[in-house]
Amino acid sequence: MPDAIAVRGLAKRYGRIDALHDLTLRVAPGECLGFLGPNGAGKSTAVKLLLGLVRPTGGDGELLGRPLGDRATRRRIGYLPEIFRYPGWLSAREVLAFHARLLHLAEAPRSIDAVLDEVGLLARADDRVAAYSKGMQQRLGLAVALLGDPDLVFLDEPTSALDPLGRSDVRALIERLRARGTAVFLNSHLLGEVERVCDRVCIVDGGHVVAEGAIDALLRGAHGARVLLDDGWHHYDVTAAEIPDVVARLVAGGARVHAVEPKQISLEERFLELVRPA
Amino acid sequence: MTAFLIAGLTLRELARRRLVTAVAVLTLAIVAFTLWGTLRLAGASVHGEALPTAGLRGAAAGIVILLAFLFSFVLALGAALVAAPAMGESVANGEILTLLARPIRRADVVFGRWLGTLAALILYVAVTGGIKLAVVRFATGYLPPHPLAALAFLAGLATVVTTASIALATRLPVLAAGIVAALLFGFAWIGGILEAIGLALGNTGLADAGTVITLAFPTDALWRGALYALQPAVMTAAVTTMPAATPNPFSVAAPPPGALIAWACGWVLAVFAAGVASFRTRDL
Ligand SMILES: Nc1ncnc2c1ncn2[C@@H]1O[C@H](COP(=O)(O)OP(=O)(O)OP(=O)(O)O)[C@@H](O)[C@H]1O
Ligand SMILES: [Mg+2]
Repeated sequence: MPDAIAVRGLAKRYGRIDALHDLTLRVAPGECLGFLGPNGAGKSTAVKLLLGLVRPTGGDGELLGRPLGDRATRRRIGYLPEIFRYPGWLSAREVLAFHARLLHLAEAPRSIDAVLDEVGLLARADDRVAAYSKGMQQRLGLAVALLGDPDLVFLDEPTSALDPLGRSDVRALIERLRARGTAVFLNSHLLGEVERVCDRVCIVDGGHVVAEGAIDALLRGAHGARVLLDDGWHHYDVTAAEIPDVVARLVAGGARVHAVEPKQISLEERFLELVRPA
Repeated sequence: MTAFLIAGLTLRELARRRLVTAVAVLTLAIVAFTLWGTLRLAGASVHGEALPTAGLRGAAAGIVILLAFLFSFVLALGAALVAAPAMGESVANGEILTLLARPIRRADVVFGRWLGTLAALILYVAVTGGIKLAVVRFATGYLPPHPLAALAFLAGLATVVTTASIALATRLPVLAAGIVAALLFGFAWIGGILEAIGLALGNTGLADAGTVITLAFPTDALWRGALYALQPAVMTAAVTTMPAATPNPFSVAAPPPGALIAWACGWVLAVFAAGVASFRTRDL
């Protein structure tokens, strides 16, 4: 099976602004990639480049094995934009029905009910979008992105307007997508969530990739341990694999070890280390 | 076809907004005034004697032309201000991002928006124009020589303005696109007058300037086509025998030449193609 996403040297300049610089990236089928970075880092630009909404100033790539911008491939792709508003005069069901027709979806009514249910909007499905709260609009956007069982879904800050319940819903939803084999490209500032649902992350800053890899690997380099001896806590700057050796050395040296705590930094701490201006 | 889906969405959007109600109310008001005016005209008398038939017909013809003239302005303004949001609003609110992530062409979006807007405007021309002609006919018994041709020319005028407004809205903000399209119509109108004045005064420079303007935005030629179709033969004859008469936008000596109509059609195609090209290369 081809990669869900494979891009090489993707770049976008807006006049003097280097919105995205040389992005090379692969996302395997069914994988969830967290795409992180501070405001203005180039996250939304990357998504728009991948979807062909913005023309790259450099690089190329494929989605689901077909070149970027391929029209037929878009039938297998879902997208929740960062900022959007559906016309207020339509109901959620009508918005979805229109998208179902653009997708030439068979059994549209059933699929529409299914995605409405999945985002918790079924009860309000026939109300006009104009009467929706911001979070309900975002839920509708999610429903549109999920319509037609896509193989690859782009979610640009899907939880920015959602209540804690909605966030947990989105988490569960991403897990269901992964179980189904759908690849997910997730832009988010909620690093706790990313840490829980993503396999890998890519961190960008000022258009440049500053770190990329499996979350474990990204956090591993920064592991340490603290050990409680008779005279209190001692810190050891070692990797997780080296902790038993440290303890053995201490014990051999006659120390009495009361407790050992591997110190695990969170994705958020690692993120701040990477992007905080020195 | 996707473009028809988009056109359908555009029409539904127009229908659900209160715009249709507002336009209907305004149209009814105008029709009521027309009816009142023409009925009074039919009952008018000069020195205690009823207007002779020829006089009544002449007055009715004048009223029809004046109504059509005002209508062409309302139509052009309406086309400019309806077409721009039809194209630009989904760009402004980000809905276009979700549409273009679907397997559709950007050209389909432009074509669908154009088609939907035009369908609404042509319906408006047919209904409103038809009602006004029927009212004049009812009150005075007068019907202009080629009513359908006149409505077709007015629809062509709406097409030119719509195409310009949509092409502009592929790049400009909605309000700017609508206003610029309306202004272009106004300039073309002035161009038509300059051309007529230039010809009447024998000033070729002025006439050429006017011609260039009316070719650059070919609404004036279409207005002249509508005018010719509405003008009774006696009036046309009168204009033809007095070529140096004061130039005015209310009478013409001849219909616009076929080449000019062909030019207007080519213009619409070219501007539409430019709009598609502009939208296809736009970063959203
Ligand atoms: N249409 C545009 N014209 C000019 N500059 C743009 C445009 N779109 C984005 N940029 C610039 O590109 C850079 C990246 O923007 P982008 O929207 O991708 O950031 P982001 O990582 O999504 O930020 P956020 O977290 O705030 O959503 C920014 O400096 C932004 O100002
Ligand atoms: Mg963004």
